[in-house]
Amino acid sequence: MAAELTVYQRRILFGAAFAFVAFLGVGARLVDVTAFNEKLAVPRKAETVFAARADLVDRNGDLIARDQPADDLYARPRLLKDKRAAAAALAAATGADLTRVQAVLNDKYSSALIARRVVPEVRVKVDALKLPGLEYLPNSKRDYPFGRTTAQVVGVTDLDGKGVSGLELGLEKQVRSGQGPIATSIDTRVQFILAHETALSMAEFHAHAAGGLVMDVKTGEILALVSLPDFDPNARNFQEGDSGRNIMVQDVYELGSVFKILAFSLAIQDHKIRLDESLPIGNGFKIGKYTIHEAEHMPAYLSARDVLAQSSNIGTAQIALRSGAARQREFLTNLGLLRPLKSELPERARPLYPSNWGIVETATIGFGHGISVSPLSFATAVASIVNGGRRIAPTLLKNPVDSRGEQVVSPETSATMRDLLRYIVTDGTGRKADVPGYDVGGKTGSAEKPGRHGYQAHKLVTSFCATFPIADPRYLVFVVLDEPHGTKATGGFALAGYTAAPLVGHVIARIAPLLGVPINPITLAKENHNGSG
Amino acid sequence: MIRVVSTFCIGLMGFTCIANYHVSEQTRIARQELTRTEKEIKAETRDISVLELQWQKVANPEVIQKLAEAQLGMQNAPSVQLASVHDLPRRGDMLNNEDVHSANAEVEATPTPVVKAAMRSGM
Repeated sequence: MAAELTVYQRRILFGAAFAFVAFLGVGARLVDVTAFNEKLAVPRKAETVFAARADLVDRNGDLIARDQPADDLYARPRLLKDKRAAAAALAAATGADLTRVQAVLNDKYSSALIARRVVPEVRVKVDALKLPGLEYLPNSKRDYPFGRTTAQVVGVTDLDGKGVSGLELGLEKQVRSGQGPIATSIDTRVQFILAHETALSMAEFHAHAAGGLVMDVKTGEILALVSLPDFDPNARNFQEGDSGRNIMVQDVYELGSVFKILAFSLAIQDHKIRLDESLPIGNGFKIGKYTIHEAEHMPAYLSARDVLAQSSNIGTAQIALRSGAARQREFLTNLGLLRPLKSELPERARPLYPSNWGIVETATIGFGHGISVSPLSFATAVASIVNGGRRIAPTLLKNPVDSRGEQVVSPETSATMRDLLRYIVTDGTGRKADVPGYDVGGKTGSAEKPGRHGYQAHKLVTSFCATFPIADPRYLVFVVLDEPHGTKATGGFALAGYTAAPLVGHVIARIAPLLGVPINPITLAKENHNGSG
Repeated sequence: MIRVVSTFCIGLMGFTCIANYHVSEQTRIARQELTRTEKEIKAETRDISVLELQWQKVANPEVIQKLAEAQLGMQNAPSVQLASVHDLPRRGDMLNNEDVHSANAEVEATPTPVVKAAMRSGM
């Protein structure tokens, strides 16, 4: 048996055992940390590439606005041997002003700003120069691939990347919240068609301005919103004739006869008229010292249905008076027409209406004079009537769910109004808006513009408000032409039936198949038969 | 005995040092690769972002329409939606209480237009 260990040997042995166990413990922990313990791993933050603002996309995911890398280009003048040649080359590559580039390169500062927001294509040209002392500071530029087509509704940002108009300003918080792309309600295909057809009509009738919108009457989504003249959001400067004013939301108009939809809705809702009753029209309708006239020749008597179909001012005035001033005002308030309309767009207009709402005002407001509202407000009010009579709020964010609120008119009134709108298109002033098979219903509106010395007979605002398919409407199309002029083809007439109604017909003919609206074979066959006959 | 244990411990310590150095070196190299890969991903993401934007510009309906009119001589053609996709029977659904085994259709070579579309001519 070995000799017993001394006390020192025992201590050394104990120390060695302790060190061994400690090594084992540290080793085990190392293995645990490196191989098994994932929690201790430092989480890596997802890096944002360069975007300060989120993408805006349309309802189908197509890009409407995106930040693209566009760095600021600086040069170190001291490192440039031939400053004059370098200035000329840099100015040519970037499009910068040559005089300014020469000035900054000859300045006393060590770094000179050559160009801001150099897009990748330009950067390739600059890099090809192989000049020494060039450097880039990260920046980005907001790009709008649809250009003018979406300019008025999407808006623009300033040089610092802040929204200054349209959705860029209205959705500023969401765009900067660091979320993913923001889906708008816009359908770029519908937007293009509306913009294209509106531009054609504006040119054809030499109109001062024009605009239009397409709205889903059940969800409140605005699929397209166009206002002309527009501007190029990528150019950041206005050319001659450009405008940044969105007439559909920023301007208010006396819309004229298209307002008769509201007078009839109220009268039908309150059972103030029967559609088959006969109303005296005559040559003028006197209220106090004022006399209401018709825009066109009318028969002595018209049925209530034809008062709307032929757009009789005198007949509508009588119907509006049956409702009375207080009830009319209450109804229009309920439809949201007497206050600025809220939407995601920051631009809005305050409606103009009489402070003293008397008998004369009740009669004239019945046929759309004496009250000015924005086209978007009016379209929203009509959408609430035709969608089954339930209040709807417009939205420019994708929200494809039924968003109808409380009843503003009964479902029966809504159904009756839809029949009347269809009658206007088949037998009234809106014939040129008809698209065989799509069962369009709608109303024309031609209003003389007010001037310094009263209404100006030759300056009209024409509009057409249509909805389809009329049995169970899904979409509403509203267009406005500001000061259109008659052409040879229209016999010199500039009324809505000749200018705005055909425009709506062209738009619906193109967008209805895109939106998946099935054709009604019965009306298609019937209308083709009538057409060929 | 003590010598053996001490030698083992020192050897273990030395081995641990070498192993630690090896792991830390591998980590440094991996981190460099990660940084490089991240830079590449960032550059690729930028490029993809720019390409998506460029694609959106060339796929713009306005551009396509202009090209189609100028290069192919095409014009707006009226189209109709005869039925909604939702009206079609779903796969496996019975049609007239019978399974659909096959279907075919014939189309006229020059179909006569059945739709009187509202074209922009006259007013």
